[in-house]
Amino acid sequence: MPTEKNDLHRGTLDMLILKILAAGPLHGYAIAQRLQQISKDYFQVPQGSLYPALHRLEEREWLDAEWKDTSTGREAKFYTLTSKGKKQLEAEVLGWERLSDAVSLILRTAD
Amino acid sequence: MRWLSRLGHKPLVEKRLDSELHFHLEQQIADYIASGLSPAEARRRANLEFGSVEGFKEECREARWENRLELLLHDIQFAFRGLRKNPRFTLVAILALALGIGASTAMFSVIYNALVAPFPYKDQGRLVTLRIRDLDQRGNGEDFRGLLSYSELRDYMEQNRVFDGLIANCEIDVVYDSGENNSYLAANFVTPGTFELFGVAPLLGRGLEPADYEPGAPPVFVLRYATWTNQFGSDPGVVGKSFSLNGVRRTLVGVMPLRFAWGGANLWMPRDPGVVNVMRGAFIPQYWGVVAHLKPGVSIQEAEAEINVIGTRIAPTYRADYPTHFHVVVESFVHAVVGQGFRRTLFVLFAAVGLLLLIGCANVASLLLARATTRGREFAVRAALGASRARLVRQLLLESILLALGGAIVGVLFAWAGILGLAAAMPPFTIPSETVIEMNGWVLLFEISLAIATVVIFGLFPALQASRVDVQDALRGAGKGLGGTIAKSRLRNAVIVVEVALSLILLFTAGLFMRSFVAIQNVPLGWQAEHVLAGRIPLPAQRYMTGPQIVSFFEPLIRTLKSTPGIEAASPVSATPPYGGFGGNIEIPGKTHTGEWESLIQLVGEDYFSVVRHPLIAGRSFTEAEVSTARKVVVINQTFQRRFLGDGDPLGRTIILDVLKKLPDAVADRSFQVIGVAADAMNVGLENPVEPELWIPYSVTGSGMRRLLVRTTGDPGSMNAAVRKAVWAVDPTVAFAEGQPLADWLNTFSYAQPRLGFFLVATFAAIGLLLVTLGVYSVIAYSTSRRTHEIGIRMALGAAPGDVLKMVLKHGLAVVVPGIAIGILVSFAVSRSVVSQLWGVSSYDPLSAVSVVLLLLAIGLLACWIPARRATRVSPVTALHYE
Repeated sequence: MPTEKNDLHRGTLDMLILKILAAGPLHGYAIAQRLQQISKDYFQVPQGSLYPALHRLEEREWLDAEWKDTSTGREAKFYTLTSKGKKQLEAEVLGWERLSDAVSLILRTAD
Repeated sequence: MRWLSRLGHKPLVEKRLDSELHFHLEQQIADYIASGLSPAEARRRANLEFGSVEGFKEECREARWENRLELLLHDIQFAFRGLRKNPRFTLVAILALALGIGASTAMFSVIYNALVAPFPYKDQGRLVTLRIRDLDQRGNGEDFRGLLSYSELRDYMEQNRVFDGLIANCEIDVVYDSGENNSYLAANFVTPGTFELFGVAPLLGRGLEPADYEPGAPPVFVLRYATWTNQFGSDPGVVGKSFSLNGVRRTLVGVMPLRFAWGGANLWMPRDPGVVNVMRGAFIPQYWGVVAHLKPGVSIQEAEAEINVIGTRIAPTYRADYPTHFHVVVESFVHAVVGQGFRRTLFVLFAAVGLLLLIGCANVASLLLARATTRGREFAVRAALGASRARLVRQLLLESILLALGGAIVGVLFAWAGILGLAAAMPPFTIPSETVIEMNGWVLLFEISLAIATVVIFGLFPALQASRVDVQDALRGAGKGLGGTIAKSRLRNAVIVVEVALSLILLFTAGLFMRSFVAIQNVPLGWQAEHVLAGRIPLPAQRYMTGPQIVSFFEPLIRTLKSTPGIEAASPVSATPPYGGFGGNIEIPGKTHTGEWESLIQLVGEDYFSVVRHPLIAGRSFTEAEVSTARKVVVINQTFQRRFLGDGDPLGRTIILDVLKKLPDAVADRSFQVIGVAADAMNVGLENPVEPELWIPYSVTGSGMRRLLVRTTGDPGSMNAAVRKAVWAVDPTVAFAEGQPLADWLNTFSYAQPRLGFFLVATFAAIGLLLVTLGVYSVIAYSTSRRTHEIGIRMALGAAPGDVLKMVLKHGLAVVVPGIAIGILVSFAVSRSVVSQLWGVSSYDPLSAVSVVLLLLAIGLLACWIPARRATRVSPVTALHYE
């Protein structure tokens, strides 16, 4: 079942989404494009798995969603980072930096 | 509140989810086409990269709160449908659970109400009673007495520092004269503080108050609820009126509620301070039963220590009332009232019920395991269609909980019916009359939780397993070949083995109970209880003190009775058989012996032997003249003759009734001449061997209790009124008390308890057998249906129906036989503790063992035979296509 692979990256995926949306409101497809672009195709997850994550974050009120017209005139669902989501992002970035500092310290000094 | 508005717009939410995902796909396709791919290739690649649209939709839905609620409702509906689709499974599972829950709740409620909290009294756990034990009697000492004289009572009351309340009651016979006729009432004198100690508010009027006990206070009494309804028609107007009780006009001041039945009395009167000893029959001072309340922080052991100090101090004052070496036992009031024997019976029954509950759970477990295996494929399909594992588990769990709730609801109904039945079947006098048996809510809660736990555990494990199933494997292999995985079928078989073993234990126990019950019923009484009316004649002590005074009452009474149509004969007696009167020392002139020679002594009239049809094997009974003139003649039983007289003609021998000198109206000439020998007959209850017994004319002494036995031509119960009238005609201050057919009395005291035990255990065993049949059947039927394909191949290859039958039966016996073997071993191991409280059976009772084994074997074979037959009837073509 595909969910197991997603589970592995759930926390990371959530953080990346929050980070991408910190720059401004985007719809799902744009987020996916951005994700691929910045990660240089590093994350090999089905693109669809982005959506359960978006809905989950919306449910936690870290994101707000609104249906708006795109530049091409089509209606799409735009996600915006809420203030609660901003705080969460800060907390996660901090946590991540601490972890990666710790890990790289260990890797550098282990032998 | 966003979710609320979304909940109301379900189609909109779905549409939006749909368009959000499609927007993504379309943008992707458009981008690919713009970068130069063909439309078909663009679509293919976009779909591939996106993954399963339906799967992600499902995940999105699950991410939403309100959808979770909706999913739950949907899952519940789904679970209902699943259960309805397979009504046989559902019905059997619910029935199995319900029987277990119902029976054990009912039984536990009885135990709780009868043993743990039988009384409505305030703080009953801290109430204690006193008993004096003679340490020189065998074993740990025997009870010497449980009642105290009044002055002794005062000593304990005044000298102790361990009780903050000590009260006592004393039985007294009351004749209530309504002006038109009289009737007997069992009354209690009570001491100050009684009503305060028990703390039960009266239903009408008031209880007894301190002023009522003052010398010169107007005579009053308080009535029991049952007496108020039976004798006074529940008339609230009787409170405040006065009634003639034993010739004294007493005012009724209150009626107690249903559950107040202290001392088993019909009415309670304040102790008369002017009377030191209450007399019951001439020269028999009534002693007092004691109930005390422990002071806060005082344990029973501490109280016992102090009470024994007081006992040792006061014993010299009451030399005749204390044995040389004694111990005063302070015992919990609840324990003292509910008999030890009955308590053990109830515990055995409870164990039986526990077994039944286990069987019920095992049955449901095996059903669920079997079902889960057949559904492996269903789960695989649903997993392939995008259902998440959590969702599958949740659905199975819901189904289990629904099943457990169904079982619980039906179980409550069973428990309710069971409690009504048990309360009606409870033999009188085994539990206190204050006890009301009602459903115990906590137990019910416990049972229901247990049922849910069983169902969930056995529903969940297979569910987890099923959800982990490899989709392709399951789709390819399910439903064919071996019955599920080997591990799973082992677990299923183990459950059935345990179930068979448990039900064998139950059946064996039931067999022992039945054998014991039959044994007691088949004890030859040696006399006949049919057509005999028995009752007590409470003679007022003041006017009936001597033998001649007692003759002056009984002679005219018996003359009247004999001339009454429907009555053949009547006789006074001192104890109702199968109990043989009071015991006492005897001597035979010229015979020396070590130890004491004791015999039971009955005071009877000339017609006693013909009234109960007790056969004489030598000599004769008394003549009317011998009785009326109190001649010193005696009839002995065979055991008496064998033990004390030895060989030679017993007739004409002399027996000295030493015991008669101890009576208050001591008999001067204690030499009696043997005129007859009666056949041995039960005289120490039905469960004990016959003791030496002798019969003398009732006119010899004025002491002792008097009862009356009346031989009737028809139903003895119908003569009750005639006897009461005859008694009243001789002396209006005497009433015929507790009159009932001797056969009924025997039923109540000797047969009711074993019958109840047998009836209950047999009911449990029957339910257990039913469950086990269902269990074996469902497992064999299940595994046989799984093998239909294999059977088809075998038959196509030339196997005869007989071979198939043999194969299925062999599989069935492989679970039934080990179950039986384990069951019989465990039965033998535990039966000793059961047999210790049964009478007339050995713990390895071969008849019970053999019949139980055969019965289970037959049931097992039957349960296998039905699916086996069905298997042989399947045509090979159908079987090969069977999935």
